[in-house]
Amino acid sequence: MNTAALVTDVRRRYGRTQALDGATFEIGTGVTGLLGPNGAGKTTLLRILATVAAPDSGAVSVFGRNPAVAGERLEIRRRLGYLPQDPGFQRGFSVFEFIDYIAILKELTNRRERHDEVRRVIECVDLESVSGKRVRSLSGGMKRRTALAAALLGDPQFLVLDEPTAGLDPEQRLRFRELVSDAGEGRAVLLSTHQTEDVAALCQDVVVLDQGRVLFHGSPAELTSVADGRVWFAAERSADAELVWRGADGRFRHLGSPPPGADVVEPTLEDGYLLLVGRVDEEAAA
Amino acid sequence: MSWHVPEQLVAAYVEGAVRGARAASIEAHVLSCQACRAMVGAEVSSDRLESIWSTVVDEVDAPRRTWPERLLGAIGLPDTDARLIAAAPSLRLSWLASVGVVLLFAAWASNTSDRGATLFLILAPVIPVLAVAGAYGPRIDPTYEMSAATPYPTLRLILLRSATVVAVSGLLALAASTFVPDGDIAAAWLLPCLALVSLTLVLTRWVPLPVAAAGVAAVYALPLLSALIDNRDISAALLSPALQWAAAVVAVAALSLLSTDPHLRTALRRTP
Repeated sequence: MNTAALVTDVRRRYGRTQALDGATFEIGTGVTGLLGPNGAGKTTLLRILATVAAPDSGAVSVFGRNPAVAGERLEIRRRLGYLPQDPGFQRGFSVFEFIDYIAILKELTNRRERHDEVRRVIECVDLESVSGKRVRSLSGGMKRRTALAAALLGDPQFLVLDEPTAGLDPEQRLRFRELVSDAGEGRAVLLSTHQTEDVAALCQDVVVLDQGRVLFHGSPAELTSVADGRVWFAAERSADAELVWRGADGRFRHLGSPPPGADVVEPTLEDGYLLLVGRVDEEAAA
Repeated sequence: MSWHVPEQLVAAYVEGAVRGARAASIEAHVLSCQACRAMVGAEVSSDRLESIWSTVVDEVDAPRRTWPERLLGAIGLPDTDARLIAAAPSLRLSWLASVGVVLLFAAWASNTSDRGATLFLILAPVIPVLAVAGAYGPRIDPTYEMSAATPYPTLRLILLRSATVVAVSGLLALAASTFVPDGDIAAAWLLPCLALVSLTLVLTRWVPLPVAAAGVAAVYALPLLSALIDNRDISAALLSPALQWAAAVVAVAALSLLSTDPHLRTALRRTP
């Protein structure tokens, strides 16, 4: 594997909360999905990889460079595109002006070349029709796409995207998948999400984080296989299941150890993830 | 339409050889005559057409320059730096208006009593420091999270914005000081202000800018405000040569430290 980022025993505490508690993993080129419940430490980890925050202890390396060293941090930033979880926008800036502002910070100083690049990324996220509108007047999905366009400036080799599909409608999510899939060709993309469908559709690699630790690291198929033989349908709710919900056809979908003779079905990635995280919660409670 | 642009004139017009009233007349005609427009279009190379179109698009898209950008451009700053500086929250008109009101109030108070004069002496040097606090940093700049992950040197951004907001708020304080009747009081805030601002910039090596500025402002102003509330007479101390000398020493020491900082030198050397 071509290593893009290496995280070794990283810890980070905010007050009384241990956001990261010895996280260790390695990612290469291609698209890696970061899954985990709220408060698992995903955003903290992405901020550290984006060089915005520093770990309390442990080691981080991006393209072999150490972000704790000023010169190496600069080299990382020159190859980085970052979409924060909650991007802010300058008051009064239009879509074009905001992206142009970030482009200046990304060292695109030649005016004509910068503006061409700004137009390119605006086109990538389908925002040409609102490029002159104030960002603050746009919908949540459009704001998110504006920030995503800014992250794509300069064709970065490492894209760090914190919940990029939050607020996007189904059509926009499909367009986003196409965009990220292209971006993942020969480059590294790390995206955090709560949408397991996005991970199943896009990612070659999945990292599941829980309580600041890496719970799982493997392929989407391996995560799905966690639920092999542990998903079944029944007309009635079963007490044997760890999780139960009624599907669109009125039948109950059960996750857990099936009773004898149950109608076991093919699991999805979401099933594997829910069983993995649910099991850890049970172990923690015990 | 009876008249059309002769072919040889079209060629000369496209080459830019026709000028003045004649060129204007051809332009006006071409706008309303499809046949001549097609003739002119056929004479222009596709490269040139593309270049003209690209210039037009760029002019339409180009961000509007705000008043601080125009001002900074007029004093010779590159467009890119001017844009980054103008985005400082403490350069917003609403911020500057509130600073102006506070300073005018303090200046008016200095006309009414000794306590008012003391209030002016406390506030005037602190206001530019607070403007520095509002120039850049987490929770201050809405784009901080994205800016912090870019290669642009943070120190350079801090210095460019700090210098500008100090200049602007300092000018406001100077304007307010013209309403202060006592000349000594009107000038006594300048050295403490310089000391506080330079000390703030030195501290940014270790703590975020807003924390440094708020800390320096609080350490300077809170004990003085507390003494003022307790009705203690501190105006003599604020006007004393000892305080002015102390401020001068702090300012010189802090500026010397800043000027020898290798990160600062690298940041300022950077060609925008």
